[in-house]
Amino acid sequence: MTVRLVKRVGRPVLGWVVFAAAVGIWEVLARSEGSFLVPAASAVAERAWHVWPTSEFLSNVEASLRRLAAGYAIGASVGVAVGVSMGSSRRVRQALEPLVELLRATPAIALVPALIVILGFGDRMRIAVIAFGVVFPVLVNSMDGVRAASPELHETASLLRMGRAERILRVDLPAALPSIFAGLRVAVSIGLVMVVVSEFVGGGDGLGHYILVERSQFNIPEMYAGILFLGLLGFVLNGVFVLVERRALSWHHGATGHGEH
Amino acid sequence: MASTEAIRSAEGRLRTAAPVVRVASVGKRYVRDGPPALCDVTFDVHEGDFLTVVGPSGCGKTTLLRVLSGLSRPSEGAVLLDGRPVLGPPAEVALVFQDYNRSLFPWLTVIRNVMFPLRRTRVSGGARVARAEAVLDDLGLRGVARNYPWQLSGGMAQRVAIARALVSRPRLLLLDEPFASVDALTREELQDVVLRVHGELAERRMTVVHVTHDIDEAVYLGDRVLILSSAPGRVVGSIDVDVPRPRDQTASRSSPRFLAVRNEIHEIIRRPQ
Repeated sequence: MTVRLVKRVGRPVLGWVVFAAAVGIWEVLARSEGSFLVPAASAVAERAWHVWPTSEFLSNVEASLRRLAAGYAIGASVGVAVGVSMGSSRRVRQALEPLVELLRATPAIALVPALIVILGFGDRMRIAVIAFGVVFPVLVNSMDGVRAASPELHETASLLRMGRAERILRVDLPAALPSIFAGLRVAVSIGLVMVVVSEFVGGGDGLGHYILVERSQFNIPEMYAGILFLGLLGFVLNGVFVLVERRALSWHHGATGHGEH
Repeated sequence: MASTEAIRSAEGRLRTAAPVVRVASVGKRYVRDGPPALCDVTFDVHEGDFLTVVGPSGCGKTTLLRVLSGLSRPSEGAVLLDGRPVLGPPAEVALVFQDYNRSLFPWLTVIRNVMFPLRRTRVSGGARVARAEAVLDDLGLRGVARNYPWQLSGGMAQRVAIARALVSRPRLLLLDEPFASVDALTREELQDVVLRVHGELAERRMTVVHVTHDIDEAVYLGDRVLILSSAPGRVVGSIDVDVPRPRDQTASRSSPRFLAVRNEIHEIIRRPQ
């Protein structure tokens, strides 16, 4: 009984112990160094506590989230639409595969200068960079998900006399949903990376811009407070996604036994 | 007046005499100039008949069902359903696959899976639910209507697949080794479910073509057993099973007629072609 209890709570507790140890090591090392360039964990936490609620910081958060939402929405919808059509039609796949493979291999960050030339320094460039980063993991996962559906499902669809559009909507799409969700989740973190990268250039606002400005003014604890916020944001967004996924895909997690931990 | 009635009844008789399914010299090659999977297969199935098709594995049984269901087109010959050539899956045909795991929609509950074939029919929403529930009741699935397929045992899931096939009241029911992936006891249970359904629907004259590699199952279920040779599949025998219905797992299987038919099929299959 006690052994089982220890085993059950053991895993999360162990994780938090390691976490606390890492923060402790940071604290000790930073204090022994005594350099203002490497602030202690407690100093960063204290700064974060004061900076995060300020309206200036929150407006930066809002700007970043707005760009993330816009870029993510565009990238994810294009990714699902193109990926599912590539998965369900061999001709579409053959037509688009070389183009997609080439674009996918191009690092999105490398596109930033080109997009600046085309779209200028404003939000349009930033949203385009984010969308470009988001689109491919979603696209590839959607395509693979559709292609991995069992041939019996497609045969069932034609036995039930489904037309092409109905098959895509009522068979291909739900069959690919677990894989699509995996792609959407990976794309959240990539999207966040692209938000920060796009805000490193061209001034304005946003968390990436904030980090850069605080660094240039040697407000090192403030810079770390911004980084810490981005880390937490990624963590929370991922958690929200896991929750949505668990609800939407309960049939899948049950079927594959991934639901019960 | 009397003459029109006479004509009508004559028409009726003609229609019942014509086969539901006519398979005429069907050959199938999956690759042009490749080895044939089926070769010159010809047979009729009459309304209300339960035909079982038996043969060694790889003899083209599944290919035959695919051609019958309109999933693939024959390379030679033709399949006629009620006199019309089958060019794609007809609305009056339902097929149950061997692997229920792959053919049920895992994202739909049992009742939604069963209701699915009715989605475009003129049956109204409420009537759809009622009809699906009636079929579920009939197959002993009432308690699991709101469950997902993964929550069911193999035997139950295959019952759901059968329910989905029956809900549209097909004229022709095709069964592709539907009991091959369940345990022996469940298999007997499901065999009796299929027999009962076929018997109950006799007044609606549902025709069944059931493919299996199990000779005993073929004899137990069928009115007639069609025997296919190993690849390329051709018809090497057709035996009427004169074991009386309703059939019973112990009595029918131990009856002298059952054993005689079974032995005859064994001999035909073992005979060098």
